Amino acid sequence: MNRPRRVAVTAPPETGVRSRPVPARPVPETVLERDRAAHARRVRHAQLRRAAITLACGALLLLGLPVLLHGVPGLAAWRLGWLPLGWMLVAWLPYPLLALLAWWHLRRAERAERPDDRPGEDPAPAP
Amino acid sequence: MTGAVVVALLLITVLIGARGVAAMRTTSDFLVASRRTSPMLNAAAVSGEYLSAASFLGVAGLVIKEGTGALWYPVGFTAGYLLMLTLVAAPMRRSGALTVPGFAEARLGSRSLRRFCAVVVVVIGVLYLVPQIVAAGQLLTLVSGVDYWVGVVVSGLAVGITLALGGMRAATYVQAFQFALKLLLFAGPAIWLLLLAGPSLRADMAAPPEFTHFTQQTPVDFRLDTDLVVTEPTVVAVDGVPVELAPGPHHARGDQVWLFPEGAAVPELGGDRASLPVPGGDQWALPLLGTGEAAPLIATWSVLVATALGTMGLPHVIVRFHTSPDGRGARRTAAITVALLGSFYLFTVVYGLLGTVLTPELHLSQTTDTAIVTLPARITDGSTAAVLTALLTAGAFAAFLATSLGLLLALSGALAHDLMPSGLRRLRLTALAVSAAVVPAALLMVRVDVSAAVTSAFTVAASTFCPLLVLGLWWRGLTARGAYAGMVTGLTCSVGAMGLGTALPLGGTAGMLLTQPALWSVPLAFLMMIAVSLGDHVPSWAEDTMLRLHLADRE
Repeated sequence: MNRPRRVAVTAPPETGVRSRPVPARPVPETVLERDRAAHARRVRHAQLRRAAITLACGALLLLGLPVLLHGVPGLAAWRLGWLPLGWMLVAWLPYPLLALLAWWHLRRAERAERPDDRPGEDPAPAP
Repeated sequence: MTGAVVVALLLITVLIGARGVAAMRTTSDFLVASRRTSPMLNAAAVSGEYLSAASFLGVAGLVIKEGTGALWYPVGFTAGYLLMLTLVAAPMRRSGALTVPGFAEARLGSRSLRRFCAVVVVVIGVLYLVPQIVAAGQLLTLVSGVDYWVGVVVSGLAVGITLALGGMRAATYVQAFQFALKLLLFAGPAIWLLLLAGPSLRADMAAPPEFTHFTQQTPVDFRLDTDLVVTEPTVVAVDGVPVELAPGPHHARGDQVWLFPEGAAVPELGGDRASLPVPGGDQWALPLLGTGEAAPLIATWSVLVATALGTMGLPHVIVRFHTSPDGRGARRTAAITVALLGSFYLFTVVYGLLGTVLTPELHLSQTTDTAIVTLPARITDGSTAAVLTALLTAGAFAAFLATSLGLLLALSGALAHDLMPSGLRRLRLTALAVSAAVVPAALLMVRVDVSAAVTSAFTVAASTFCPLLVLGLWWRGLTARGAYAGMVTGLTCSVGAMGLGTALPLGGTAGMLLTQPALWSVPLAFLMMIAVSLGDHVPSWAEDTMLRLHLADRE
């Protein structure tokens, strides 16, 4: 992999990094143009929707499993191979599922901000 | 042998730290490694930093103490990175602020809010750092026989010097190295011990016998004052002096060793620990937290909420995402971290079950924090046991070092960067000063329960920084006054409730909600933040500042 390049950041300068005084309020250097602001609003909305879906799945999994174990206490005694099924549901099952969920979300989140996925709208900026 | 391994580990840590010195010029280099770390390296560093004593030793110990429900803790620790991935990583990185307090100022435009955030960082950092050093001291005492204070001083100094020399650039390599090391030292011995265990022990692990009678002559080394309820007349050697105990309540002082004879009935725990399940019993085997009257569902959810949301608010973890080159890199880092942490925690259950079968007496003394390193000697003897103990000790020590480095960095950052703006020189001195200040605290708090103290840090983080970050990154309506109100509410509720819960042992659901307040304190902090912000004036630049965080990089 290529060495990642440094990119411009948008926050006002940190105190202490340079010795000049910082204004008490961070006045944005440039106000967002209307197009970019509209685009940013769309991206934020799309990301928020994807985040909500992913987190709902995660919450259903993690808050639902205890309900299952509480409702069916027999699971903790029912042996499947070496260990009781109830223990495996806690000790092993959540990790691959969480990793899958993370991978799925990452792909969708990156697609949401890829410029060519916005059909008919502002074309991709020149490189 | 064990001592030599730990010394070697310390040397490697300091050497890798020193390697970073040459390349470091500015505060930015020190704090965030000049933002050039690749996602894979950074994810290894995040995991290396995150896997602390609580993960390496504590959770397995908690399985002995609280039952298989304790396996929910690492699930919550891992789920925290799913939240980080979905809500925090990318926009937080794009904010460009170096620390959480820096973010608060950049987003909400208030200097005083920044200082308040720095105070919260210090509270969380101390709650998390002191138990790490305490555990390091106990571990060294256990394996090498040195005095507790030697262990504490050695570990405190090693962390302080490494950080002062190398800063975050050093820490990134140290942490990434330590993740690989920890995974190896956790998974390797787990598999090795399973192979050594033999079929009967493996069968016992799947169904540990209930701990009702001592199967052999067993010393119980109390570290905390403990109330016991003896069920049948027992002759116990207290510090070598035989004492006949009548049935009924008895008190064991924190510095005594009680030697129980073979075949004696195991006393029950009294006082506020009476509700803890007996290892191997039915309650112990049900994989939910909290027992009997303390609603198991609510207790389990509370821990899940505290650990998952608390991860998001831990200041030493957040600062890690700033070492990625851009928002996309930060997001990838979070996603890889979920997988890395998961692969580590798969092995926790092995140690938890082995500990329950082989060292159930730790349930009485509650000294389960160091259970893991005593296991090899119970399974095998001679050089194999010595090698395994040394490996596990090195891994646990790596865990202390890695987490302490990150915490110390966040603490020094908050003190030197936010509370009193200054340059690199002062930052280095602060790192040394903080580590020097933490050592006496660790010496005083020898009797603190490591797992409990760590969970309280998560709860405070979940009740303060979690709402600040989620609302600050995604809602334009958040104002400085709202953030203040919410964080003050979260801080006082979480710290107050946990203090109250410790002071008056209530028991039952009410007591559980006091000692594990996350389930109500986090929503309360969110509500407070939203309510006060709605009644406040939102500055005209707020929406632009928030929207910028969601514009893809290089646009």
